[in-house]
Amino acid sequence: MSDRDQAMDAAPGDQGAGPGAFAKGLRNYLIGMALAAGLTAAAFWVASGTNLVYAPGVPMALAALAVAQMGVHLVFFLHITTGPDNTNNVLALAFGVLVVGIVISGSLWIMYHLNANMGSMAGMMSLQTQR
Amino acid sequence: MFGKLTWSAIPLDQPIPMAASVAMILAISGLLTWVTVKGHWLYLWREWITSVDHKRIGVMYCLLALVMLLRGFSDAILMRSQQALAYHSPGYLPPAHYDQIFSAHGTIMIFFVAMPFMIGLMNFVLPLQLGVRDVAFPTFNSVSFWLTASGVLLVNLSLVIGEFAKTGWLLYPPLSELAYSPGVGVDYDLWALQISGVGTLLTGINFVTTILKMRAPGMSYLRMPMFCWTALASSLLIVAAFPILTATLAMLLLDRYLGFHFFTVGHGGNPMMFVNLIWAWGHPEVYILILPAFGVFSEVISTFSGKPLFGYRSMVIATLAICILSFMVWLHHFFTMGAGADVNGFFGVMTMIIAVPTGVKIFNWLFTMWGGRLRFDTPMLWAIGFMITFLIGGMTGVLLAVPPADFVLHNSLFLVAHFHNVVIGGVLFGAFAGYAYWFPKAFGFRLHEGLGKAAFWFWLIGFYVAFMPLYVLGLEGMTRRMQHYDVPAWRPWLLVAAGGAVLILIGIGFQIVQLVVSIRRRDSLRDLTGDPWDGRSLEWSTASPPPTYNFAILPRVEGLDAFWRVKHPLPEQGAPVATAGYAAIEIPRNSPTGFVTAFFAVALGFALIWHIWWLAITGLVGAFATFVVFAWRDRTEDEVSATALARLDAPRRAAIEALAKERQKGSWLTRLGEWLRPSKRLNDGHPGPASKRITVAYGFWIFLLSDFILFSGFYAAYAVLSRSTAGGPGAARLFDLKTVAIETALLLMSSFACGMATLASDARNLLWTQASYVVTGLLGLSFLGLEFSEFARMLAMGAGPDRSAFLSAFFALVGLHGLHVSIGLLWLGTVMAQVWAKGFRPDIQRRGLCFALFWHALDIIWVGIFTNVYLLGTIP
Repeated sequence: MSDRDQAMDAAPGDQGAGPGAFAKGLRNYLIGMALAAGLTAAAFWVASGTNLVYAPGVPMALAALAVAQMGVHLVFFLHITTGPDNTNNVLALAFGVLVVGIVISGSLWIMYHLNANMGSMAGMMSLQTQR
Repeated sequence: MFGKLTWSAIPLDQPIPMAASVAMILAISGLLTWVTVKGHWLYLWREWITSVDHKRIGVMYCLLALVMLLRGFSDAILMRSQQALAYHSPGYLPPAHYDQIFSAHGTIMIFFVAMPFMIGLMNFVLPLQLGVRDVAFPTFNSVSFWLTASGVLLVNLSLVIGEFAKTGWLLYPPLSELAYSPGVGVDYDLWALQISGVGTLLTGINFVTTILKMRAPGMSYLRMPMFCWTALASSLLIVAAFPILTATLAMLLLDRYLGFHFFTVGHGGNPMMFVNLIWAWGHPEVYILILPAFGVFSEVISTFSGKPLFGYRSMVIATLAICILSFMVWLHHFFTMGAGADVNGFFGVMTMIIAVPTGVKIFNWLFTMWGGRLRFDTPMLWAIGFMITFLIGGMTGVLLAVPPADFVLHNSLFLVAHFHNVVIGGVLFGAFAGYAYWFPKAFGFRLHEGLGKAAFWFWLIGFYVAFMPLYVLGLEGMTRRMQHYDVPAWRPWLLVAAGGAVLILIGIGFQIVQLVVSIRRRDSLRDLTGDPWDGRSLEWSTASPPPTYNFAILPRVEGLDAFWRVKHPLPEQGAPVATAGYAAIEIPRNSPTGFVTAFFAVALGFALIWHIWWLAITGLVGAFATFVVFAWRDRTEDEVSATALARLDAPRRAAIEALAKERQKGSWLTRLGEWLRPSKRLNDGHPGPASKRITVAYGFWIFLLSDFILFSGFYAAYAVLSRSTAGGPGAARLFDLKTVAIETALLLMSSFACGMATLASDARNLLWTQASYVVTGLLGLSFLGLEFSEFARMLAMGAGPDRSAFLSAFFALVGLHGLHVSIGLLWLGTVMAQVWAKGFRPDIQRRGLCFALFWHALDIIWVGIFTNVYLLGTIP
């Protein structure tokens, strides 16, 4: 592998090598752990019915905390960066996230409308089988 | 002992399946006897069965597809003749058998003809076009092939033992649920698809990694041949869509085997959710099939027009646009299900939009031909036949994209005509074009032209005669899958359609004869140059058939149509740079891993179908053990030294130089001869294949993304079914947040410990690495223990997965995560054993990196689960 190759491209999960890599890596994991623990605690606290968050906004707050925590895990544990050597890794991730988003939101949207229009499935089936 | 399997499983009382079975058994045993008598076993084992060479695997895929085409086509002939006869009469196929035939026809044609054909072509061509020596993961490639073959074996086994699904190829519930399909037919279908689906997913990951990480020096993205682009898009779709199929079929399996209620009629199950999910896979699937065909046509049309592909960049954009858009149209398969005007309108418009990039492609091909020197060899005939036929299919597709029109045409023969119009006219014609085009590359001799052309014309005309009547029948109101009918107006059209099927049969006959005749006359059809068609891309620069290593020296690429540039250099282009000589290369060693895994997979599948539990456990343990043995290998590659390589390469160079002398001076062969001489790589732009560490980790990264998508399927089901408690307990009553908080903490700490192991492993500190791994494992184990105790508590409350759809979805989603943790722990054990036995070798460290990625990714999934399932479920 040439130096140039390494400069252009990084394996997902790899963090920089070289002198001081251990200390830097350790710091990275410690920060990640602290942030993840903090966000988890915040999520459980919000869900436990605090008055600090406007009640109808709780699901949104939980979603924001979850997305933030996923980001923390990606950055500090999986070492995905925005650097040019990570372009491929990020693009692949973006594609995956897009598909996950389409599958979940599309299914929810379609099934919500179906259920609204058709009534519950069980009800309809019992209508059909009554005859 | 043998579960549900008894002698009555063999359909002795049904003459047609019995005759087919006997014929199949005779053919197979005849073949096996011939191989034994001729003493070919050792050759087959060494050169083919255990081969990890992408070219061999590609050829085996195509062969498998061709054989299964015969099987699928005989189903088609049965259906056409049944409908030709069954006017006011029951015909000759009883309904139970007829239903199996149309189900098997669809399953086989899509999964075991179209898929392996396309994957076979990609396998064979991709590394050659990219100018590299193999795919990213050669052994997994072999595993993929043999898992596909296992699926084929199971499907064909259903002919002899038991029955096949009678539900239609997509297994719509509630018909496919245990209550309405108690037989083994649906199980055969499900397990065959699950097993071959794993193979397909591995292929997708393999190809994505190959194309993105393994390209010849200088081959930047926009210098890749169009086929590589379409293969990339198709492989990305495999990675994105197949996990959805796996998830959906797994839910149906859970319903059938463990009494879950995803899609059942009672207990809050929702059959519509199956239809929704299966088409979220199903629509991308048709683009998985057609995109490589588009690539084949791009190569063929450009080659046989003697021109560069018109609008290369617009073609790339169109391909990627299709790749994304294909994920946004799936509802058009069930407009009539009742989602309403908003939803139908959106998906109708998206469906019309996806026709735009496809139209761009058609125009690009037309303009490539415009002003070219056209040569009408067989591949080009298939390409032109495709353009006309596919255009008609595309337009009827746009018609079906209009929801009101679809309400009239849904489930009619119009639809059947439409999708055969695009699948035969697009995918199959593409496969045949690619077969004729690359055959000389694979075997060193051409296929017989005259017989190939005859086959083409019979196929083309036969197609129109067989399927145009189906459009008319659809408009006259004939629905699909009818075993008999009594409308006089339909009869003549069905007779014509049956005649068309006979024409296609003659076309297939010509193809078989063509193959036999070409093999017998191979000496006169021999191609010595390696470039029989005056090709443009790198596969034509090497010998036919190519050596194991493809290229003695990796070609350097200076632009699009890399090989054409060698043959026709621009005046300002200098001669190749001074020689650097041959360098040693590594060739992956053959491995029986794929074959042995497939053996256990077949045993597992068969055992699960017939409820032979001891055999199922044996199969599972065997497959796992095979992988451990595979991972434990020390020598995975053979080195070919520089001198040996020079010796191996000498005949090829000598042959080209001799041929060049024969022809007039300055022929392209002279320039090829110069180019084949060892010369220094020109390092402009793309530096060449990535390091193994990057390749392996990237491949695993793609796998992880597919895993996220698998979870998204289960999560979508959970989100839709989470209120379907069927009167049973809901989330708020069941979940205990304190336990979940402890579980989360355990998993987080485990992840941290795994990070410590990574650091220690990078620093090559054995003690700390192993100690951190032990902590990782213990924390993971405690997480699992806690989760199991939670599950046990819920089961004891009577809140098991069979209680309601909500609980089914909950147990499946959270259980899938638990299963991942369990697999991770098993994997961790093998990683630790390897570190202990072999130290920090680069290959062991690569595995450590992949394990770390996996373990950290499980946290991300858990964040999604504890937020959406536990926290959102219990907020007041």
